[in-house]
Amino acid sequence: MSTASTTAMPETGLKSPGPGLVTLDPALTALLRGLDDLLTGLAARLAAPEVVGPPLLPAEGLARLDYFRNFPHLGVSAGRFTSESLDGLAAGEPATDLPLRPTGYLLPSATCYGLLLSLEGEDVGETGLRLSAAGRCFRNENHYDGLRRLWGFHMREVLYLGSKEGAAQHLDQGADFVQELADRLGLTLTRAAADDPFYDKGGSRARLMALDPVKHEFSAPDGTAIASVNRHRNFFGERLDIRAGDQGPAYSACVAFGVERWVHAMILAHGTAERALDRLRAARG
Amino acid sequence: MERIAAWLHEKNPGLDGPIAPDEDLIEARLIDSMDFLEFIDLLEDISGDSIDLQEVTIDDFRTLDRVRQRFLSATG
Repeated sequence: MSTASTTAMPETGLKSPGPGLVTLDPALTALLRGLDDLLTGLAARLAAPEVVGPPLLPAEGLARLDYFRNFPHLGVSAGRFTSESLDGLAAGEPATDLPLRPTGYLLPSATCYGLLLSLEGEDVGETGLRLSAAGRCFRNENHYDGLRRLWGFHMREVLYLGSKEGAAQHLDQGADFVQELADRLGLTLTRAAADDPFYDKGGSRARLMALDPVKHEFSAPDGTAIASVNRHRNFFGERLDIRAGDQGPAYSACVAFGVERWVHAMILAHGTAERALDRLRAARG
Repeated sequence: MERIAAWLHEKNPGLDGPIAPDEDLIEARLIDSMDFLEFIDLLEDISGDSIDLQEVTIDDFRTLDRVRQRFLSATG
């Protein structure tokens, strides 16, 4: 079977099932998979083993990471229908009108949270630890916009925990990789300090971040941020009692990629999904 | 500076001994980001001057030495 036929649009269209939700057609899916393969090159370069994070995160654990202080508006909570509702549902009552009971778990809004929570109480040693993972992440947004802003999307991350110097080096290596890959793919990216979407934009954390940005983003010409480098200082190490040998609480940092946004940036740069795929194949060599 | 040292020890009960004047308070998170505005309030209270966050850099808060030079030189 030729590549063209496997990426051709099916005769029937693929409709969106709701706001911020899409089914990627074959060409977009090939782009997503191919780009994710290339993005995994950072993990290979840094010898970061690939793991699969948990699909749900405990609210209690996220609370200890100040997740709700920072981003209460983003969290997509997992709920169960109350037992009183089940008979009604089985009898055909509309599911949207029935009450939900919280489970105490949320869908991940970033890939690294699950990895960090899995390392609670561990000692990563003075040489540190790297992990690579991709997962679907979910964020409640005020608006959705094509592949630029989805309710659920794929986020690939390479996480480092260890020394302060190691964390800084990790981000330098990540930034170099992003620029090199962008060049191979014909993408023009701009690096700039970025804000996390704090709920309290005038609060202490947001004000300190304005003075000392801990997040830098790489953005396509239309402003879509497709990658970021993030340093956490020793925050997660302290909160989760993750140590780096005798150095005390581990410093951590992560390099993150929004994979659907890389698809968007490729189409923006090359005009169509098919031309973007041609460029992707050329970049893979 | 005693009030500042006392505040830092209060926020970091695990700290042993004095804080070196060149210790990086920001990177080591002795000033946690959630407490940053409280630290600004403390400096304003000690110095008697308001601090405009548009006119400072993070390095002005990075060490006890720098804090003294930048905000407390008039009061010692």
